[in-house]
Order: sequence, then C-alpha cells, then structure tokens
Amino acid sequence: MTSSAIATGSAVSAGPVRVPGKRRDWRGGLMLWGFAAPALAVFIAFVLVPVALAAVYSFFNWNGLGPLVRFIGVDNYVRALTDPKFLEAIGHNLLIVVLSLAIQGPIAVGVALLLNRRIRFRGLIRTLVFVPYVLSEVIAALAFKLLLQPDGPLDGWLSALGIHGDKPLWLADQGLVMWTLFFVLSWKYLGFAILLMLAGLQAIPEELYEAAALDGASWWQIQRSITIPLLMPTVRIWAFLSMIGSLQLFDMVWVLTGGGPVTATTTMATYMVQYGFQRNQLGFGSAVAVILFVVSLVFALLYQRFVLRRDLAGAITRGA
Amino acid sequence: MNRTRMLAALAAPAAAALALAGCSSGGSSGGGDTAAPVTITWWHNGNADPLKSLWQDVADEFMAAHPNVTVKVEAYQNEDLQRTLIPNALRSGGGVDLFQAWGGGELKDQVAAGYVMDITDQVQDEVEAIGPTVSGWQLDGRTYGLPFDYSIEGFWYNKDLFAQAGINGTPKTLDELNADIQKLKDAGITPIALGAGDKWPAGHYWYNFVLKDCSVDTLKAAQSSFDFSDDCFVQAGEDLQAFIATNPFNDGYLSTSAQQGAGSSAGLVATGKAAMELMGAWDPGVMGGILKDAAAQADATPPSFLGWFNFPGIPGSKGDPTAALGGGDGFACAAWAPPECVDLLKYIDSPDVQKRLGESGAGLPVLPEAASSITDPNMQQVLDGLHSAGYVQLWLDTTYGPTVGGAMNDGIVALFGGNATPEDIVKGMQDAAATL
Amino acid sequence: MTAAAAAAVPRRRRGPIDWGAPATYFVALVCVALSATPVLFVILNGFRSTAQMAYDPGGWPSPWILDNYIEVLQNEDFWIQLLNSAVAALGTTLGVVVLGVMAAFVIARYAFRGRDFLFSLFTAGLLFPLSVAVVPLYVMLKGMGLYGNVTALILPQIAFALPQTIIILVPFLRSIPAELEDAATIDGAGRFGFFWRVVLPLSGPGLVTVGVLAFVASWNAYLLPLLLMGDPTHGTLPLGVQAFSTAYSQDTAKVLAFTSIAMLPALLFFTIAQRRIVGGLTGAVKG
Repeated sequence: MTSSAIATGSAVSAGPVRVPGKRRDWRGGLMLWGFAAPALAVFIAFVLVPVALAAVYSFFNWNGLGPLVRFIGVDNYVRALTDPKFLEAIGHNLLIVVLSLAIQGPIAVGVALLLNRRIRFRGLIRTLVFVPYVLSEVIAALAFKLLLQPDGPLDGWLSALGIHGDKPLWLADQGLVMWTLFFVLSWKYLGFAILLMLAGLQAIPEELYEAAALDGASWWQIQRSITIPLLMPTVRIWAFLSMIGSLQLFDMVWVLTGGGPVTATTTMATYMVQYGFQRNQLGFGSAVAVILFVVSLVFALLYQRFVLRRDLAGAITRGA
Repeated sequence: MNRTRMLAALAAPAAAALALAGCSSGGSSGGGDTAAPVTITWWHNGNADPLKSLWQDVADEFMAAHPNVTVKVEAYQNEDLQRTLIPNALRSGGGVDLFQAWGGGELKDQVAAGYVMDITDQVQDEVEAIGPTVSGWQLDGRTYGLPFDYSIEGFWYNKDLFAQAGINGTPKTLDELNADIQKLKDAGITPIALGAGDKWPAGHYWYNFVLKDCSVDTLKAAQSSFDFSDDCFVQAGEDLQAFIATNPFNDGYLSTSAQQGAGSSAGLVATGKAAMELMGAWDPGVMGGILKDAAAQADATPPSFLGWFNFPGIPGSKGDPTAALGGGDGFACAAWAPPECVDLLKYIDSPDVQKRLGESGAGLPVLPEAASSITDPNMQQVLDGLHSAGYVQLWLDTTYGPTVGGAMNDGIVALFGGNATPEDIVKGMQDAAATL
Repeated sequence: MTAAAAAAVPRRRRGPIDWGAPATYFVALVCVALSATPVLFVILNGFRSTAQMAYDPGGWPSPWILDNYIEVLQNEDFWIQLLNSAVAALGTTLGVVVLGVMAAFVIARYAFRGRDFLFSLFTAGLLFPLSVAVVPLYVMLKGMGLYGNVTALILPQIAFALPQTIIILVPFLRSIPAELEDAATIDGAGRFGFFWRVVLPLSGPGLVTVGVLAFVASWNAYLLPLLLMGDPTHGTLPLGVQAFSTAYSQDTAKVLAFTSIAMLPALLFFTIAQRRIVGGLTGAVKG
C-alpha cells in the first residue's frame, strides 16, 4: 500500500502544516516520530504481525492443527470467489452499507442538531440515546431475540396497540429478516453516530452563530448554512467508519440469526466463520478474511480519493 | 455419600504419606508419593451442577490419593471449549493436559497433528471393560481417549397420547411408524415435534435413515475413508423425503427451537402438545427443566408419561435394524501431559466414579458394570437399547469431522427446506472431503 | 422581526429555552423510547421469573421478584469479574487515549516524510477482522508470557482500538487554528509545549469521545478475554455472562438480571464522561 495510492495526503495536508525548518530538521523529525512511535510499536506488534501471519495461512490447506505444510497457492481464493454463497454474502454486506448511509446518516444528523439545543434534560436524553451502543452485541442480540420471538413481547404490544391478526415472523421470514436485522443494527449504532455528530457540533465556534444571529438568520437558516456544512467533516468520518463497520459486520448477525434462516442474512464475516473456522479449514477462512480486507481497502481508497479529498479545512482554520 | 468417601479416601493416603515422610525421601526413589510435584490442567464442559461438583470432587480425591499432583480444574462453555479454547491450546503446545474429547473426526485430526497421547498400553483393562463404545476414541486399533458418558438416541413418546390414538406397543419398522403417525393424525394429535430451527435435530433424521439403510461395512468404510459412493446414502435421502411428505411434524417446525422454552420441540412434547420426538438421552432432563422454568412448576420432574423406542428398522434395506446412533463425551491426554494424566483418566472411568456419574443424573456411564446406578426407567430403556444394538455408530457429524460434517448438515437442512435433492447432500459431502 | 429572531437564537452560555421546543421534545421522546425500551425490557425482566416471562412475554413484573438480582450481587465471582473488567477497560482507555492523541497530533498537524503512509497503516488496521488475527496472536501472546491475568488484555486491546481512535482524532486536532500554534511559538513554547498546553486542553471533547468508545469496546470484549484469561469465572464480565447463561440456560430471567448489572458500569462511565463532551471550544479563537 503506497502512500500516494491512498489519497489521505490531500485530506490530511490541507490542514495547518508546519514543515520543520532546516535547522530544526533532525530534532523536529525525531520529535514527530517519537510521538508516533509508541502507538506504532504496539500496533505493529499486536495487529500487523498477526494479520500478516494470517494472510500467509491463506495460501495453505490447513486444519489449524500441526504444521503448515500443504501449500496450495491461490486455490482457496478461487474457491471463495466462485462460491455463490460467498457472493450472496457480499451482496448482503453492500446492502447494509447503502442502507446505513442513506438512513442512519440523516437521522443521526437531525437528532444531533435537535439534541444540541438548549432543552431540559439534555444530558439525560443524550445518555439514554447512547445506551444501545453501550450494550454488548451479545446482550443486544439476546434481548431482541426474546423481543421478536413469535407471539413474544413485540407481537403482544402490537396487539395492544390495536394491530390484530397474524404477525409477521420477524426473524424466521426469509424476506423480512434482513430488514429486521437492519433495524436492530440501527438501534445499536445510531447512538454512536449521534455521539460523533454531537462532538463535532461542539467544535463549531460560537462566534459564527452570534454573527449570524446579528444578521437576523432563523434557526433553520443557521443550521443550513453554517452548522451542517461545518459538520460535514465529522459526517464524512462517521460515514467512513459506518461503511467499514458494515463490511466487517459479524457479532450482531451471528448471535441474532446465525446468518440464517438458511442464508438470508449471511455476511462475509459469517461466511468466513461458518465455512472456514467451524469447518476446521483455517487456510480457507484466512483467504476469505484477506478478501474481506481487500474489499474494505478498495472502499476505503475510493472513499478517501473522492470524498475526503474535498474536505476543506480552510474555512475555520485559516483565520477569520 | 461423596463426602464420606472423600474423607475415607483422604484418611488412608494421609496416613501413608505421614509414614513415608518419616523415611528419607530424597533422590530418585521410584514413583509414588515422594515423586516430584506435578500439575495437571483439566478442561471440561460441565459448567453447571451436578457435573461441575462431580468433577471437582474427582479432582480433589485424586489429589488426596496422589499428594505430589495438583489438578487444576476449569469448566468452560461447550462451544467455546470445543471450537476455540482446545484448538488454540493444542496449537500453542501447552496450557492443557486432560481435555474434553468428543471422538470421531475431530480427535482424528488432533492425533494426526501429534497432539494426543497414545494410551493404548496403559488402558487395556479399561477398554475391555467399557466395550464397543470406545471405538469412537480409537484409531487404527490404538486408543487415544476414553469416553465416560455415552447414550443413544431414539423416539421419546407420550404413552398416554399413544394409547389415546389406539396404538399398542411401539413400532419396530418404518411402515409401522408411518401407520402410527397416521393414527395420531386421525386422533387430532400432532405426531412428531421437530426443532429444525436449530438445524441439528433435522440432521439426525438423515443420520438415522443412513444408519438403517446402509450396511455396517458401508458405514465403516465411510468413517475411515470418506467413501460415500454406495447408493444407500442417496436412498436414505429419498426415504427421508418420503417421510417428510407424510407431514408428520408440528406446524412451523422449520423455525422451532429444540430446547428453549415451552415452544421448543422438547417443550411441545413435555406439555403434551406433540406425541413424540427423536432425541438423545438428555431429553427428559431438558423437558424437566422446561416444565420447571417455563411452565412454572417448581417441583417438576421429567414427565411420567414418557417412553422410549429406538429408530425403527427399514425392511428390505441393507442396514442392521438394531443399529444405534449415539454419542458421548470423553477425555484425552495431551501428548505433553505428565503420565499421571492417564492415571486421572483411568480414575474418571473407574467403576466407583462411573456409578456416581449415573446416580447424579449427569450422564449415562459407559461402564456396563455401572449400569446398575441408573434407576430412571427411561434411562434404563436407553441403556438396554445400547447394549442390545448390533452396531453402534457415533453421531455422523462428529464422525466425519467438522469439514464434511458441516457440509452434510447444510445439505440436510436444504433438503428439509425443499432446496436440495438427496444427491446434493452426498455431493456436498464428497466435495468437502476432496478439500481435506 | 430582527429582535425576535435574535432573541430566539439559542445561546450556548445562557438564555431562555428556545421556542422550537415542542418539536424537539417530541423527537427526543421518540428517540429515547426506541433506544430505551429493549434495555428496559432486559432490566425489568430481571425482576420477573422465567415462568412469568413465558406466561406473559411483554408484561410488567407481577409480583416483583428481587431474588435474581440479589443472587447476582451475592455471587463473589461476579465481583471478581467486575474488577477485572474495570481494570482492563480503564487500562485500555488510558493507553488508547495517550498513545492515540500523540500519534494523531503529529499526523494531523505536521507534514513529514512517511506521514501519509503512517495514517494509511493505522487505517488499514480497521479493515481486518479480529477473529482471523486471533490464531497467530494467541500463540504470540502465550510465547510472550501474556496469559492468565487481566493485564494481558490491555496491550492487544489498545492496539486494536488505535485505528478508530486516530481516525476520529485527526480531524479534531486538525481543526485547531494555526494561529494558536504561532502564538504559542511566539510565547516561547516549542512543539511539545504547544501540545501540552494548548492542544490537549482544547481537544477535550475529542479525547472523551474516543475514551468512551475505547472503554465500551473493552468492556464488551469477549474473544480476547476468553483466550487470554483462563478460567471464565475469574475473567471479565462478558465471560461471566456467558458462563452464567449456559450454567442457568433455562432460567432466562436470571440471565437477564446478570446482564443488566453487567452493563451498568459502562453506562455510568458514559454518563460522567458525556458532560465533558459538552464543553467546547469556548473563547479559544477570540482575540
């Protein structure tokens, strides 16, 4: 991965930069790398090295026990990429990416804007909205499994609200389950999005609001011309994390549906676990993981080249 | 009873140790209580009572009898243990000495990788005492582990509902079973509860059809070399399809769970809403638990109307009609474990501990000698079925290992859902075997 | 019109509650209801018995049963697990925030050779599923002797939390105006002084955000503690929940009580921390 291929350069260097002057060059450079060194060291040791080793496994036929001896080149990759079940899983991932961006994004921005206002119980509301994220995936999935079971609590409440008749099988209907899954995912991760947006809102200087107020702008006009545009960098970061999270999706799906019913909610990661690890085929599982990595990388690259490049930092930071 | 025995067990070696301590014990004088300290790490899946306390007692007693040995017992959740912890520990060459072993293909892989101790020479007496069920833990005539619990599956049925439908006795052939199912339907009773939502209960139907359609030699060949070429495997699928077509199951069985709550297949039978289900020997216990928690009967026991019969034979097939399908739990010693590990394993399979296992209700002991400890009439029926079986086959997915077994289970589920043919199941298994 | 509009604009530091309130409150109410209901379901059902749950799945406890919660609180394993989870989470959070802000600081504000590559490297760490890296990671950690106690968890967890932390902090740190650095230099503070005296205080909201995310991730982690901590009854809370739920697999209400208590500390941490997010860049850019 070359530094130029990933166009973070444009996004990152658009900020205020201090190129170390010639005289301080070596000491300045030392300080810069020194600051990054601890994080880098820990990262390389505990993330990059294991990941590289796992990538090596992908070229072998290995059941996880004993030494790595059966080199098979790219056979695992061919097997995965020609398996219709894997392609179906990729399709599910892409669907979730799109749905998350299109639905969770606007809702999160809207809610954050509202929660940023000076209303009573603001702190309490923020805490309660974030609660789903604090819950572990396993607990959340367990709770929803109980809530959504046939003739369970949800069905009971719907009846109490006057909606009678046979309720749909939320988790067992192959046509419906993906939407149920998306609802549960949104429930869990909307709080995260709102939190990020709120933090981003805090970074917008008050003077801009005061100036606009003096000019006679209404609340909505202020949001539209000042707040939202200045929130966009945060939105773009959230979108990036959301996209990557959607591609890597595993825990919630695994506990809630196991990828089922049949293959209705498989993702690349559930495929990896089901056909790789659970079948004692670690080489194959590692190959799927590498494919997952490459897909995520492609998304990341495209995103950073076309979206983050437009990130203008000048408006706030280059003076009034 | 355990406590008294433990105190008794403590007293003797304690006295012996005191006596020995009086003598000089330096240097390398033969084994026994004066040997160097040894630690055995023991991992098992009994993280609930009564099994948890039983194993702890066993460990304590062993430590008392061997003062130089420390036994570290750790209980883990079943899936975590089998899929994550044991493989990782084996890979890293340490961390566990005595570990839970389910036999079959999984153990085969572990042995091939050199992680398991060959204990053939040390346990010859035990192997003879236990009998044919040990075969799941043996490879090419060598023994790599010992089972401590083994049971076979069959149909658990409601005697009252059967009587209500006018059924006398239990079916011995598939035709009789189909006739009984019809009688139940005529009486307005759901014949069979099936928890296909959990997938494996559906799988067991195919396994049983294979067991009764295929000759014993075919089954053995399939086990040792993944040879599924005999057409009895396809025949089994066709027989299963015909069986499903008679509509014997409860409504919505594709998403019914096996054991969770009153709506599960076990719950349906326990509450009298279905007449029978094909399950292992754990079923009465599960039903009792469901009745206790889900139906709020605090002193509930397994229903008294339960009876048991083995999966019926299929006339005209090559299979042995008395063949039984079952599975169990066992332990194996790691290749690097100290020799005392084998002693601990032998102690676990000793008649005394086996009897206590049976009495506690934690499992069905493998030692025929300990069968007297089982007083529950249902379990006695299961044990009788086991001892009178002409051939005992370990669960097919355990036997064939996770790779082929996983493909097999997927194929069976697809068959139930109408998305696959009997040939597809066999093809899936052969393709998976080719990747090994 | 102007006066009314001026009076209606929300002022952060003081001022009346704004007139858009009803719509806002309604939205807030809907959000809170949707967010909180499943959680309330978990908590309230801890006060019922499993039999009650089977009989009336969506109903209130009747009668209220305290036994489940009392049993959990009296279970000494629970307190050990709580302590382990707390130590792991606090250690991870501290490490992630310190290491993350240092690395993000130099990436965000200084151009140096390899800077882009460094950022890409950290980003790439997000793209690989943890469960795959676990196999070699486990062998490595055992070899390093990092096994069996809670401190073994901290370093790997810091490593896995760094990518998200750095990605979130970089834009935050980048948005601190260049003028402040000029001012600091004029005052004689070097880069480090600027970092210590200006950047750190100003990046409060960002630091708290990544801290909360790291704390929650560590609190809920399952796979790493399972592998590295040995006996699950002396592990972290998620391990405890799993062990408890399989030991009491039929008693759903009891399991829900356990999980309710297990999630409280993370919630508490967030409640305390979220006030800090509220404080913003006040007065920094004036003058």
